[in-house]
Formats: sequence, C-alpha cells, structure tokens
Amino acid sequence: MRNRKRTGWRRYINGINISAFFVVLFVGLPLYWLIASSFKTPANLGNSPPQYFPNPISLGNYTDAFKNNDFGQYFINSLIVTLIATALVLVLGTMAGYALGRLPMKGKFTLMVTLLIISVFPAIAVIAPLYLLLRNLGWLNTYQGLIIPYTAFNLPFAIWILRNYMLGIPKEMEETGRIDGAGPFRTLWTIILPMALPGIFTAGIFCFTACWTEFLMALTFMSANNRRTIPVGIAEFGTVFTVPYGTIFAASVVAVVPIGILVFIFRKFVISGLTSGAVKG
Amino acid sequence: MTAISSATDQVPETEPLVGRPDVNRKRMARLGWGFTAPSLIVIGAVTIFPIVYSVVLSLSNATVSGNGVSLNGFTGSNYSLVLSSPKWHYALGFTIIYTLVTVLIELALGTLIALVLERLTGGRGLMMALLLIPWSMITVINAELWGYIYQGTYGVADAILNAVGLGHPNILGTPTPAIIGLMIADIWKTTPFVAILVLAGLVMLPGDIYEAAEVDGSSGWSTFWRITVPLLRPTLALAVMFRVLQAFGLFDLPYVLTNGGPGTATTSLAILGYNVIFKNLSFGPGAAVATTTALLVLLGCLLSLRTFRVQVGKED
Repeated sequence: MRNRKRTGWRRYINGINISAFFVVLFVGLPLYWLIASSFKTPANLGNSPPQYFPNPISLGNYTDAFKNNDFGQYFINSLIVTLIATALVLVLGTMAGYALGRLPMKGKFTLMVTLLIISVFPAIAVIAPLYLLLRNLGWLNTYQGLIIPYTAFNLPFAIWILRNYMLGIPKEMEETGRIDGAGPFRTLWTIILPMALPGIFTAGIFCFTACWTEFLMALTFMSANNRRTIPVGIAEFGTVFTVPYGTIFAASVVAVVPIGILVFIFRKFVISGLTSGAVKG
Repeated sequence: MTAISSATDQVPETEPLVGRPDVNRKRMARLGWGFTAPSLIVIGAVTIFPIVYSVVLSLSNATVSGNGVSLNGFTGSNYSLVLSSPKWHYALGFTIIYTLVTVLIELALGTLIALVLERLTGGRGLMMALLLIPWSMITVINAELWGYIYQGTYGVADAILNAVGLGHPNILGTPTPAIIGLMIADIWKTTPFVAILVLAGLVMLPGDIYEAAEVDGSSGWSTFWRITVPLLRPTLALAVMFRVLQAFGLFDLPYVLTNGGPGTATTSLAILGYNVIFKNLSFGPGAAVATTTALLVLLGCLLSLRTFRVQVGKED
C-alpha cells in the first residue's frame, strides 16, 4: 500500500505481490516441469543439463501412453470405480447426514466421533483382512471389490460434511413440508435436498478426488493389468531397469487435467468443504 | 419412494406434529436410525470388521495357503517379534520424525502463504485454484515427478546442485538426502492445502480486534503472535491433527519414489506392514505391525479430541 503513488506497472511492485509471485513459483514450477516434460521427446528427456523448454514439442509420449500401453483402460477403470463409489457415497451420506444433522437421535455425538476416527484410520490397518475377505468372495480384480471399500472409507467424511451442512438449514423449512403432509422421504427429497445441494457438491468433489488418487487398496486388490486404476498403472509403467518418464508424464497430465478443471470450476465448494468443521487432506 | 413414505407416515396428515411431541420424537429417532443404517452397515463391514479381524490375525499363528488363511491358535509371539525388531524400531522412528518435520514446516510455510494471500488485493481466487492443484494431484504422480527431478544424471535438482558447486550427490541413493527429498515432495504437495485452511480461518477473524490493536500501537509481529495465532488456534489444531494422522499412514510417496530405500532408509510403518504382509506373506506379524500403527493413530486421535470436542460440542 505504501507504493500507491507509483504509476504504470511499477505500482504492482510491493512486498505482498512479490511474495505472491514466489508462492506461484513454488507451486507452479514443479507443475510446469511435469507438463513441459510430457512434451519432450524421449531422447531429450535424458538431456544433461536438462532442456528447460521442450524443443521440438512432441506428442509421442501421449500416443505411447494410449497406444503402446493400456492407459486408456486404466482411465476407464478409474472412471468407473470413482463415479460409482462417489454416487453411492452421496446417496448413503445424504440420508445419514440428514438424520444426524436434523433428527433427534440418542448417541449422535458418539457416532459422529466414531465416524471421525474411522475417516482418519490408515488403510494399512485393514488391508490384510480386507484382502483375505475379498479373495474369499472372489472379488479381487473386480470393480465391486474396489468400489465397496472406497464407498466405506469415504462415507464418514461425507457424512460429516453433509451433516454440518444440514445443520445450517432452517428448521421451518421441513415443518412447512410436514404440515403439507409430506412424508419424511418426500421432505428430504423435495425440501431438504435442493437446499443441501452445495454441501452434496462439496462432499462429491472430496470423494471423487479421494477415489481418483487412492493407491494402496487399488494396488492390492486390482493387480491384473486390465483392472488397474490410473495411480497403479502409472506406478507400474516403469521396470526395474528403465523408467519411461515421457509416458508417465503424458499419462499424468491426462490424469491431472480433468480433476484440475473440476477443482478449478468448483473451488468455492472445495474451500467451503475444507472449512465446514471437518478437515481432511 | 411413495410406498415407503406412506408406510412410515402414520401420523394423520392434517394434524400438526407439535401436538404429540413424545410420540413424534420417538418416531423421528427411529427414522433417523433407519436413514443412518445403510451407511453404518457398509462402514462396519469394510472398516470395523476388518479392524477386529486384523487384531485376531495379529494374535494368531496365521498361515496362508491357496485355499485361505488358517489361524492355528492364539499367540503373543507376533507382537514380541515386531516390538523387538530393529526394522520396526527404525520404521517407527522414521515415521515419527518424518511426521514432525513435514507437519511443522507445512504449518509454518502454509501460514506464511495464507498471510500473503490474505493481503493480496487481486487474483486471490486464481491463487486458490492454483493451490488446489497439488492437493488434488495423485500422490503417485507427485512421486514420479520428483523422481525425475532428483534423477542422478539428468534430473534438474542434480543440475542445480552442480551449478551451485555441490557436485553430483546421489540424492535418492543416499539415506539422508533421500529422506530430505521425500520431505520436499511432501511439503510441495501439502503446504498449499494447509495454506488454504489457514486462509479460511484468517478471513473469518473479526476485523475490529485488529483496529483496536493498531490504535494501541501494537506492531505487526506482536499482533500476529498475540492476536492472530491465539484466534487461529482451533483452525491450526484441526489442520495439525489431520496432517499428523495422515502423515502417520505414509505409503504412496516412498513406495513409488524410493521403494523404502536406499536400504530401509525411507521404510515407513505402512511400507513395512505392506512388505511383511504381501512380500513375505507373513499375515500374523504384518497384522501386528498394522494393528500397532492403528493403535498409535487412535492414541493420537484421542489426545487431539480434547481440542476437537469444543468444535463438535458447539453444534450438537
């Protein structure tokens, strides 16, 4: 603010803007490196000193990821598992969030705390018994074998977000519904649901991101090549001897872009979710 | 939908429900459990049951064959094996130090970034969007990216270190640099997330307190430590709690970036547990590693709950 009198571009030179510029560099440079490297030719990826701008710009890595590797299949697998798990989480989570936020139930507090603890439990704690359970069911390398664990692991956090959101809806809203003779399901469907939509959105984005990025369970339960999700596929591109960084980065850009766009468009919901009393990274 | 609603909807439609509060309350509570039951069943089947089964596994001489697992009776030997193992001691120490260092740096850097963003006059929305990208990024991709950066012959970190006269250190091949490299990758991915949390807390702070502080002639530094930090404590406590618990389950990053190496330098508790279970196929000791990790997480959670209870209690 001290520099308010400066004119032209100079008026943007102040401590805050310079600091902000460094923040952009801190976050942006590794991202630039990921994107730039995906457009380098395999030979130029191994240049020393490194090539700071890709020249020539090559799409070879992208065709390699989709044509010579099964990245297309991994993408479809990720999409199927993530979308179905998110849908299930939202349906179940909305019902539970509504009940815990607005209906008079005894033991709510204990239940919410239990859910909170479960939502931060490390996956390694359940991976062995879940693996044995899924193997007995014959569900290893099946979509439901990943969808159901994802649903269960993301439900507690979604319930938290939705319950906090439901608490904020004025009580009079559903009373009007009840006086009009609407049953509880119809009240939820026609009155509460439209008002809770931002909360549902927020929970949905969090669940989508968590499923899209999950690694340990996907690695353990979906080892067959045609069932791998994106994180497992990318991790397994390399062999002991060579790591095909070009292919990996091309695949990575394709995996980052959809969720990047989603998060960019819905950043308000993401940020409101981060601050709605429950936090998860 | 209509069938279900008419079955549960037994109160005469015209009667206002305020007339019979007790009956209505009971009915609504039953309905609440009905709405919650499907979620609880799924969560119970996939988390609670396996946690219990994991404890059972860890207390048995479990052997795994083609047609399943047999428990072969009770034993405490898995725990004595794990608790006396130098590998477990190292993994525990590594996980604790890694968690402390990364969370502290992320908190400090994140708060700094949040303070900058709060004073930023334009483009804050775009900055937030940029900060959300590392948060939403697949950890495996983060690991591969930093693996390329740290690569010994053509990595950009190698070129930079060489340019400032540090030669060609084998970053991922030497224990301490590998651990630092791992921490940097983690800090890059998670600091923006902490920054957003702290910024959200900052924005909600009452402005008049700051005006009063200014009138009293408080300096920027003392305003920060005496007003901002105490007011932000709930936000910071929450962020720390979740980051600590999450960092304690560290798996994806070292699995891809260093594979727990060099040697066992970056073998976290989760990597150790995974290797014991799925590489050695020792389900009993592996379950013991997993269960002790879970117990430590639970302990951390209960310790943090005092801070958190205030938050939950307010709304209940």
